[in-house]
Amino acid sequence: MKLVDVLEAAKKEAHCGMCRIDYLDTGVCPSGKSHGFLAYWPEGRVELARALAEKTVQPTETLLDIVKTCTLCGFCDRQCHFITQLRPMKVAQALKDYAATLKPSDLKHVPEDQILKDLRAIVGKEWATNDPNIIVSYNRSIMRPKTNAAFYIAMPRTTEEIVAIVKLANTHKIPYLPRGNGTFFSVTMNTLLSDAVSIEQGIIIDLWRMKDIQIDPVAFTATIGPGVTSFELQKAASKHKLRANVAEAESHVCANAQNLGIITTWSNTYGWSSDNVIDAEKIDQEGNVMHLSDLEVPNPYATERGLMSLSLIPNVIVTSLTVKLHPVFDDEENIFVPYEKLEDAIDFAENLAKHNIGLSLAILSRKYLTEFISPTHDVAEGFDQVAKQYLKLNYLVDVICTTNDRKYIEETAPVTFDRKMVKSLILGSAKLASMKDSSLLKMISEEEHPLKALFGGPLRKHLEKGLAASPKELAAVYDPDLRDFFEKVYSRPHMTDSIWLHTFRILPCRMERKHFWMYRGGYMPGDKKTIIRVAKALDDSATKYGIEGAFGFLSYLERGKFAHLEYDYYYDHTDPDARKRVNHAIVDSWKSQFSIPGVTPLEFICNKGLRRKEHILYPLAEGLSEEELTLVDDIVESVFGGEEKW
Amino acid sequence: MVKYLTEEWAKQAKQIVLDELDPKKDLKNMNAILLNVVQNVPPENKTVYFYIKFVDGHLEELLASPDEAIKQKQAEFTVTGDYVTFIQISKGEMSSAMALLKNRVKMAGNKMKALTITKPIDNFNACIKKLQTEY
Repeated sequence: MKLVDVLEAAKKEAHCGMCRIDYLDTGVCPSGKSHGFLAYWPEGRVELARALAEKTVQPTETLLDIVKTCTLCGFCDRQCHFITQLRPMKVAQALKDYAATLKPSDLKHVPEDQILKDLRAIVGKEWATNDPNIIVSYNRSIMRPKTNAAFYIAMPRTTEEIVAIVKLANTHKIPYLPRGNGTFFSVTMNTLLSDAVSIEQGIIIDLWRMKDIQIDPVAFTATIGPGVTSFELQKAASKHKLRANVAEAESHVCANAQNLGIITTWSNTYGWSSDNVIDAEKIDQEGNVMHLSDLEVPNPYATERGLMSLSLIPNVIVTSLTVKLHPVFDDEENIFVPYEKLEDAIDFAENLAKHNIGLSLAILSRKYLTEFISPTHDVAEGFDQVAKQYLKLNYLVDVICTTNDRKYIEETAPVTFDRKMVKSLILGSAKLASMKDSSLLKMISEEEHPLKALFGGPLRKHLEKGLAASPKELAAVYDPDLRDFFEKVYSRPHMTDSIWLHTFRILPCRMERKHFWMYRGGYMPGDKKTIIRVAKALDDSATKYGIEGAFGFLSYLERGKFAHLEYDYYYDHTDPDARKRVNHAIVDSWKSQFSIPGVTPLEFICNKGLRRKEHILYPLAEGLSEEELTLVDDIVESVFGGEEKW
Repeated sequence: MVKYLTEEWAKQAKQIVLDELDPKKDLKNMNAILLNVVQNVPPENKTVYFYIKFVDGHLEELLASPDEAIKQKQAEFTVTGDYVTFIQISKGEMSSAMALLKNRVKMAGNKMKALTITKPIDNFNACIKKLQTEY
């Protein structure tokens, strides 16, 4: 197989970073685990193959090691296919075939310069490199492609090593930038934010090796290093019947906490920003080590706000974080309240938030429900059509709660279903997607209240019976060689348990299966009027520029006083025109959000994650005047350049 | 060719701005006083102060000097950063707003007012970029 044959597949690589965590219990890529650098992981190997196919990089001696250490074990295919439906092993094979055609004279020798020597003296010879074949694997997930600037990658193991790297960078007057799992970078790198979030030359500090986790079950805390992912922390906590407030499975907890403060469906109960943080060790731009708990430091919690507070590059590196953990109860249940209209879902969820009902509380969109739980995007589209057209199921108030709260919800909700139904929907998703012309669904759609008719009446049993599907049946939607594996995956009880899925968050990356996405939204007062206004504004900006926009999820803070909305823009990131349109929609949505009193767009929370939320949210923003809004265009042009630069 | 951040450079920079930029159209009649603190200027890693004063879009003063006396002048905005970063800004490789966003420079002063002068300051930087400068 030739590299050009896999180029199109390589372009679809989304850099979700899921291949660096063991979420399917297969183990992770052995080559990546041993060597660390992204080029040795499936994600980076794909990027390397792309660069070689596009001839933007010459093969080096390291390429031979990268392909040699790949045993084509197939872990990558299983993991990646589960999330993105891609098959990275084909790319790995093409890379091997390509390397086999190379003569020694084809391989570029990369000399060690003084900066690399110094880096290796700090982290060890095998953990620092300036090899272009490794460097390009970081394209699109921290650096822009096709750059001729000098880069180094260093993978430190300790805080002291990071301090030494920062001081080295300052001595040589070159920039540095830490990298967790690259998820924030990968989402923003395709947009006008690209220059602002990326590094244009210098040292990339890959924090993957710093994976220490210490759980204190008595104090209900975890102390973790910056290489620990949400999945890894949650797994460690769950052994003690505890739960952490974490973002998507693949994200690095320290980076996420420092950047966005970790907003989740659990935030009404567990909190947000500094609420969950007990202490943090961080390194400033001069290489000084500080702790949040130090007595002699400037106020670590206050922060700037408003238009000029945008900061997309961290000014500290968090090297250790101690976070709160929360108890897991034996009687937890997941209750869903389906709605046709957002307004009705908000009424119900807001009441729960104010009464502090539920450990996890959110409004999920139909898009998230169908995309997350369906095994393929085609199934998700069919499921989505059925939910929209026949069931009128557009929003779900999604609550994880204990027995008493469950009683309250079931007594006050128009209709509910629980995780048994979700299990049926997961295993029966392919079947449901294929029922577009079924008489049962047509009959349901003709009811005055289809959702009540379906989930509250005798039809529910018919639906459950109709959907009754085994893991084997569901696995039939996968490629034949993967079916046995996915049958086993879906046979594991936790893979269809919605509480486990909420806790471990392994499914959200499925939203990028067809098209890439850019998150929009932000923080706002928790009243219905504001939420609806923000959702409409985000929708209008998407429509104006021909972008597919969709409500993602809404969660509450502080007993419903505040809300966080994620609303996503979906676009083909390989299409330059689509990228331009999404950029226009982003700018437009900033303006529309800033015009609404009390609203802070998500980007303007960046790098404030360790601050107190009270300093971020109060006093409520007044909403920019027409005159001030005209400045947004000037600022966009000053910071991000004109449209031609996007 | 004139050496960056020298008195001669400041003199030529002022002249080119006065010659080429329209106070109303390009400089938006801005009233602003900026002090750039440029650290680690070679060869002796000294700090050089680069002071600019606009009145109604007219460039009244442009000074560059290691003399700390400049610090005594009243500045509304103080921008502090490394020599390497100021070169990038001066060459047009990075806008001053981007440098701020990327934590390459620090700014003190009224940020809301700073918003209103981002565009004219970009025009100012683009103009002095035209000088044949030795860095």
